[in-house]
Amino acid sequence: MSVTAKRTARNGKAGIGGKGRLHPDHLIFLAFIAPNFLLLGLFTYWPMVYQSYLSLTRWDLISPIKQFVGLENYVVLFGGQEFQRVLFNTFYFTGTVLLGSIVLGLGLAVLLNQRLRGRNIVRSVVFAPVILSGAAIGLVWAYIFDPTYGLMRVVLGAIGLSSPSWLTDTKWAMPAIIIVYLWKNLGYAAIVYLAGLQNIPQDLYEAARVDGATPWQSFRNVTLPQLSPTTFFIVVTTILGSFQAFDIIAVMTKGGPVNATTTMVWYLYEEGFVAFRAGRAAAAAMILFVLMLAVTLVQVRYLQRRVHYS
Amino acid sequence: MDRRTFLIRSGGAVGSLILVGCGNNSGSGSVQQPAATGEAAKAAEGKTRVVFWSSWSATSGEALQKLADEFNASQKEIFIDNQYQGTYEETAQKLATALAARQVPDMASLSEVTWNKFFLNNSLQDMTGYFTETKLDPKDYVESLIGEGTKDGKIWWVPFARSTPLFYYNRDMFKKAGLPDRGPKTWDELREWGKDLMGKGGAKKVFAYTNAKNYNAWHFQANVWQWGGAYSDKDFNILIDEGGAVEAGEWLRKFVHQDKMGYMADDQSIDFGNGLAATTQQSTGSLGGIVETAKFEVGTAMLPEQEKFGCPTGGAGLGILASAPDERKRAAFEFIRFLAKPENAASWAKTTGYMPVTKSARESKEMQAYFKENPNYQVAVEQLPKTQPQDTARLLIPNGDQTIGTGLERILVNNTPAQEAFKNVAKQLEDDAKEVKESA
Repeated sequence: MSVTAKRTARNGKAGIGGKGRLHPDHLIFLAFIAPNFLLLGLFTYWPMVYQSYLSLTRWDLISPIKQFVGLENYVVLFGGQEFQRVLFNTFYFTGTVLLGSIVLGLGLAVLLNQRLRGRNIVRSVVFAPVILSGAAIGLVWAYIFDPTYGLMRVVLGAIGLSSPSWLTDTKWAMPAIIIVYLWKNLGYAAIVYLAGLQNIPQDLYEAARVDGATPWQSFRNVTLPQLSPTTFFIVVTTILGSFQAFDIIAVMTKGGPVNATTTMVWYLYEEGFVAFRAGRAAAAAMILFVLMLAVTLVQVRYLQRRVHYS
Repeated sequence: MDRRTFLIRSGGAVGSLILVGCGNNSGSGSVQQPAATGEAAKAAEGKTRVVFWSSWSATSGEALQKLADEFNASQKEIFIDNQYQGTYEETAQKLATALAARQVPDMASLSEVTWNKFFLNNSLQDMTGYFTETKLDPKDYVESLIGEGTKDGKIWWVPFARSTPLFYYNRDMFKKAGLPDRGPKTWDELREWGKDLMGKGGAKKVFAYTNAKNYNAWHFQANVWQWGGAYSDKDFNILIDEGGAVEAGEWLRKFVHQDKMGYMADDQSIDFGNGLAATTQQSTGSLGGIVETAKFEVGTAMLPEQEKFGCPTGGAGLGILASAPDERKRAAFEFIRFLAKPENAASWAKTTGYMPVTKSARESKEMQAYFKENPNYQVAVEQLPKTQPQDTARLLIPNGDQTIGTGLERILVNNTPAQEAFKNVAKQLEDDAKEVKESA
């Protein structure tokens, strides 16, 4: 790969300066990118184009006729309280998960970085939920949250609290989903942070100690800035991941009660495949796409500049 | 061939393969049958394989598979490949995507809510001709049931797993509470009994409602009629935000939030079976499962009345997909004919709790003997003649079931006044009804 790439780069100049004909090396370059490009085009870009068209129609997935309705789907979405609730839920969920992943993930990583006995086992245990199936986890947690028989009731009871009806109460359903999602994905943030921690050169800490820094000061002024690329990475992956969370919601609450856990992705699934409003679902998907694009742009333009790379 | 040419050619080959693959899917005309899985592929060799997408698991699923096995063993030409697809809604979702992808089963189970969509889109086969050809008498089916699947004198949807809501009560708890061994005559009577049930009876709750995903809008349809209201009329005029419907919703709200006797269960069968709630309302089709899991004496009764009696029909029927080749459609109908035989219809009804859909099955010796042994089941059959098809708002308006169900959740969970919750529901239903009126 790298040999060809180099050669293409070298010959590329000659090609441009040449007769404007396709140099054989270009064809090789094309041959290399073609499989990926075609697949991406077919399964990513074409659906996106088609979806933006669908978002301007009214279609029930079965009928041969797709009625063109202009921007009606978008007007309905932004005009209704339901979709505002969905947007709120999405930001509530993503924001809490993001904050939790960073704070708890870093805390766990600092703990796992200590030279303690059996820490390799603990590291594996912390990471295990990440590779478990979301559906299986959702099912187990649904039992844990059961207000009559669940484990959570016992735990809360031990400290004198009564268990809310987690999954059938509009106030508690979202926190329940967040707890489970965090529990599942925390190990990922922790392991990435751990790798980041171990990459920080020890001499920086020594220098800090020589200057008389307290442990908190060296954490605040050495560890955190040195970890900024790691944090940046976690912010990006967590936002993109939690924006698209689906499996745990599907198993535990199906978006309910009363839409309390309906996030963007669940909403567009419901609209598209349960209510058979493909146009409305496509419009919601376009909005999700624009939101994620915006998040990515902000991260690339603004956040990246402030991140320290050693 | 040197390395370079090889690379170029193979790149081109991969590209064209992809294009060919897609061309097949988007091309018009040819519709494929979903592949056979597991042992079915072998067993179907040399036979006409009919793919049947069904919606039953556990007790009912086993009963259906047994019938399919018996059918397959009874003759040599046809193999019924029964493929479980999840709930009625999930089956409908998969069928819709299957139609778009042109990989369509030959027969599917469709609920009273989902079948209409496929009918309107001309995806279903008119079966009237098959009835005449095979001398299967449509009049043998219970009239009101086959009537629902008949449009303009043509039969599109054959009743199979039809059910009604039924009132279930924990006889052990009723005994402990010193109550008579019967269901309450009215909802108000149940409320009066509530104190004893939660006191002496030892129940945590008196009655378990359920959520939108478990069809609370179907169960509440009965309440609306009992209070003299309706979801809508035949011309799609929405009536849920007025009169009896609102009164029924308010009664429910007070029963849950003031009396603390009712509540919203995730799955009322589980909570009732565990002895958490003393009573509940659930499909007759769950009778088999509930009796099997409950560790107490299960009693059933007709639904309580309020101002009058009201009870909807529900459940699923069978449709044959119009896109299948003629040979397979006829083969599929052979299976429908097999299921309609008195002994088969009776055995299905007995194991599951669904209604016997044919008169010959209902009057068969086997069924009559079963009624005598199982008074619980007899109640369901006695209730059947008093039932009626549901209001258009739930049956025909897209997503009407979930729209109403979510409104009910707001009352059950958030203590939202019925008038307010149903006003929002009515607005949504009216919007969605426009689509139906336009396309009709």
